[in-house]
Amino acid sequence: MATGVDQSVGMSLVAFSLLLFTYYSVWVIVLPFVGSDHILHKYFLPREYSVILPGIAAVILLLCIGAFTAVVIWKNHKPKKVD
Amino acid sequence: MTSVTRTSQLRGANAELSGLAAPGRVALSATPPASAMTKLLQWLLGVSLLGAVWALVTFDLLGLSLPRTYREVAWPMPVYLLVSFGCYSLATVGYRVAIFNDCDEAAKELQEQIKEAKEDLRKKGLKM
Repeated sequence: MATGVDQSVGMSLVAFSLLLFTYYSVWVIVLPFVGSDHILHKYFLPREYSVILPGIAAVILLLCIGAFTAVVIWKNHKPKKVD
Repeated sequence: MTSVTRTSQLRGANAELSGLAAPGRVALSATPPASAMTKLLQWLLGVSLLGAVWALVTFDLLGLSLPRTYREVAWPMPVYLLVSFGCYSLATVGYRVAIFNDCDEAAKELQEQIKEAKEDLRKKGLKM
């Protein structure tokens, strides 16, 4: 077994993804079948946000990847010496 | 990638066999028969089929008027599949990070070898 930090980071990733999957599944699949006066609806945003929020997250992810790539390319760029 | 190496392997084998005597020559061909479908085409077919079914249900193209709850469930489906795939990937990566075991003897051996290499290079005159 990996030690210390590795184990805690790994297990927290697993727990986070399980939580996210469960919440999102209830939001998308379970909620339409539950009556509109049920108390469960209090814990979830309106349905449109279930598509908008992952879309925003995807855009942010792409921005981060692009920024990282730009920084790496910029740092490695060595201008040619002019004699 | 593997299909490229397979093709070159088969081509090499074909060249070898061509050097043999004419009777009993086997024509090895790396191209699939015209009736077989490549993997890309299979995947595209599957994806477009599923996409067509989803569009039918979401935009009600056939005018079937399914019950409202089923249409409510169907329309976020592509995003839902993407999110669940992302969660599965994250969970797999996290799990494998947690399970990955340290190799203590290998680490010690590696440190020993690094020390030896440094000594060796220092003797040969490389400044560290």
